[in-house]
Amino acid sequence: MGAVVLIVLTIAFFIVRLAPGDPAALMLGPDATPEDAVALRERLGLDRPIFVQYATFITGAVRGDLGQSIFFNQPVTQVLKARAEPTVLLSLFSLIVALLVAVPIGIYSAYRHGSFFDQAAISTAMLAASVPSFWTGLMAQRWLATEYGWFPASGYGGPDTVFLDRIEYLILPSLVLGIVNSALILRFTRASMLDVLGEDYIRTARSKGMSEFRVVLRHALRNAGIPIITVVGLTFALLVSGAVVTERVFNIPGMGNLVVNAVLRRDYPVIQGTLIVVANLYVIINLITDLLYLVVDKRVRF
Amino acid sequence: MRSKSTFLRGSAALLLIATLSAVPAYSQKVVTVAVVGEADTFDPMVSTKDIVSQVTQHFVETLYTFDGSWNVAPLLAAEMPDISAGGTVYRIPLREGIMFHDGSMMDSGDVAASIMRWLEVASRGKGIADRVTSVEATGPLEVTITLSSPHSPLLSLLAFSNSAAVVYPEEIIGETIDEVIGTGPYRIGEHVPDLYLQLLRFDGYVSRSEPSDGHAGARKQIPDEIRFIPVADPNTRVEGLVSGQFDFADALPAESYSRIEGSDIAEPLLLQPFGWPVWAINHKAGLLTDQKVRLALQAALPIDDMLFAAFGDERFFLVDAPLFPSGWVWNNDAGVEYYNQNDPEAARALLDEAGYTGQPLRILTSRQFEFHFKMAEVARVALEDAGFTVQMDVVDWATLGQRRNDPALFDLYITHSPFLPEPALTSLWSVTARTGWGNPEKEAVLAEFTAETDLAKRRELFAELQRMNFEDVGFIKIGGFNALMGQREGLAGVPANPWPFFWNASVM
Repeated sequence: MGAVVLIVLTIAFFIVRLAPGDPAALMLGPDATPEDAVALRERLGLDRPIFVQYATFITGAVRGDLGQSIFFNQPVTQVLKARAEPTVLLSLFSLIVALLVAVPIGIYSAYRHGSFFDQAAISTAMLAASVPSFWTGLMAQRWLATEYGWFPASGYGGPDTVFLDRIEYLILPSLVLGIVNSALILRFTRASMLDVLGEDYIRTARSKGMSEFRVVLRHALRNAGIPIITVVGLTFALLVSGAVVTERVFNIPGMGNLVVNAVLRRDYPVIQGTLIVVANLYVIINLITDLLYLVVDKRVRF
Repeated sequence: MRSKSTFLRGSAALLLIATLSAVPAYSQKVVTVAVVGEADTFDPMVSTKDIVSQVTQHFVETLYTFDGSWNVAPLLAAEMPDISAGGTVYRIPLREGIMFHDGSMMDSGDVAASIMRWLEVASRGKGIADRVTSVEATGPLEVTITLSSPHSPLLSLLAFSNSAAVVYPEEIIGETIDEVIGTGPYRIGEHVPDLYLQLLRFDGYVSRSEPSDGHAGARKQIPDEIRFIPVADPNTRVEGLVSGQFDFADALPAESYSRIEGSDIAEPLLLQPFGWPVWAINHKAGLLTDQKVRLALQAALPIDDMLFAAFGDERFFLVDAPLFPSGWVWNNDAGVEYYNQNDPEAARALLDEAGYTGQPLRILTSRQFEFHFKMAEVARVALEDAGFTVQMDVVDWATLGQRRNDPALFDLYITHSPFLPEPALTSLWSVTARTGWGNPEKEAVLAEFTAETDLAKRRELFAELQRMNFEDVGFIKIGGFNALMGQREGLAGVPANPWPFFWNASVM
């Protein structure tokens, strides 16, 4: 894990500096002189040799110090911490929506393999996966928020908004993101269930007179669980790191919005910090996914 | 029992009366404003970005400001300065009883120290620093600025909210200012980056007594709170506005006009004219250092097609040659025959005269402002038709911001600006600007223009400068364009302005 993080740190540092663009010129505005930009670069330490900057970054990162955001003039860890809550909650709610939609439909599709319901479910899943999330977001925002007023159109509350009220702002984006991401889980659930429902032990269970409900949910689903858990883990990691478009459309101040803005502002420390957090997150989610294998299937050994 | 009930009712009535009498004359209201993004800094001296001006003008103030007709008017200064006969000594009387947000009182020491810092750190201040001999506190409520030679744009520079000469307490002044303390009608309440900036009414504020007029006059502090919400996506700003989430939304896409117009909740606010797209020409290096090639470029441009492609709707642009639009004091017709020629033959002849051999004309532009890119695309076709080899360098805004500082990397870049109150505020005129346009004749007239204090004479000189700009192609104004903003139905007190302000805003 340490090696992975070091590689990510190094790639993150150099890749963001390969892109042209000057954060100092951006911050000063259109009428600032080139000399002003040079002076600000000096003040920000961006004029130092690249390997000196790299050494400073690595030694800081080892101590948990990801540097100072150029734009916010705050420690990167503080900036990321502030963005973690909306992103994690949005990802969690979206995953719940995706699971509530995808798993029952996937199971029933597999159970009614080839039926009209199955065909309709697969086609709808294909459609949901094919439509860009920004379009779904814009439509949901326009109709469900603006026209019907069921949800706030955007944002994450103001100074007088308490935590529970903030959740209201996440419902619509969670529905959008959840439905878009349910397609993959639905297809995996259906495919895994189809494999398992054809196994001998399922036939045996049925021949013993076990109810269909019990056969499907206790025997088949449990054995189809590992691929489903794998895809759910990956989906969650993708949601945390990749809800960029949805956060943008709904103006949620999460990590996705942060990283887009950081790229546009050339806020190198924030881009690096976000990449590091996402890389670590993938490692942790993979670890949790592996541990969950043990829970659903006692035969699994590492 | 009856007496107890009467007592309770009486107490309730008294409480109600006491409460009502305690309510100030203004309404209790939060005005929520969707803006294009976060301000990079709350210190407007060090930034020339419009978003910084727009936000910070609510909590920091300058000595002077602009009224609704873009005339300079006093703000923290008690009145207009007493200018010496030679135009080099400005005695500025200050208002009494001005309180900073930290509770301290403003005096001439604060003002002198702030102006000195402005001359050292602000792009616009540094531009005139070599003309300033001294800035002195010549009385408890008087500062005197002495110049080495007359410079008539000084008051406009002191009034401008961009790279602004704002006044801070002397104690906090340094190269950087960590916690901004101003004198404005609002103070910073809470700032959660990328979520909101909360500004609260400053109870110690003493408003000017004159009627409100543009940024000048009374700042009534009508809302209790002004809340700026950074919303990067323009469509999200539109949806937030028409759903009633925002009271005001800035910089909206032209396509959303009819949607806002059809809304029961919001109404469009069109600022016409807002500004001008400009092609900034590199005079320091490259192809366009040759005047004949610049004239060929100017001759080839199909301005009306470019503007139509860029804005798509005649409500949002104006094919207009003068550097300042009709109604502005600087509007004149000198040299306008050079505008919108769309004449490939003339351009080809000029290129032949210049001995042009097909070197690429490098147009540096960005899709971050889609209208820049669209007008460049239309121009490319016309320029190629006239014989130019065109190289489109389409980059993101951050890259453009970097490349335009290196004269070796571009021949022209595309940008835009609001119409500024004073021509000298536009850096493109200056030979020391990044584009470096200079010729002896223009420098002489520009020097005379910036030294002259008589408005009629200045207008004549500006007409001369405009003619020279067309004849020498210093930079190219493509036209005028309007800005679309939107506000809640019933919101009053927010005049259409490039830097909208909300201290007089009220909702019916």
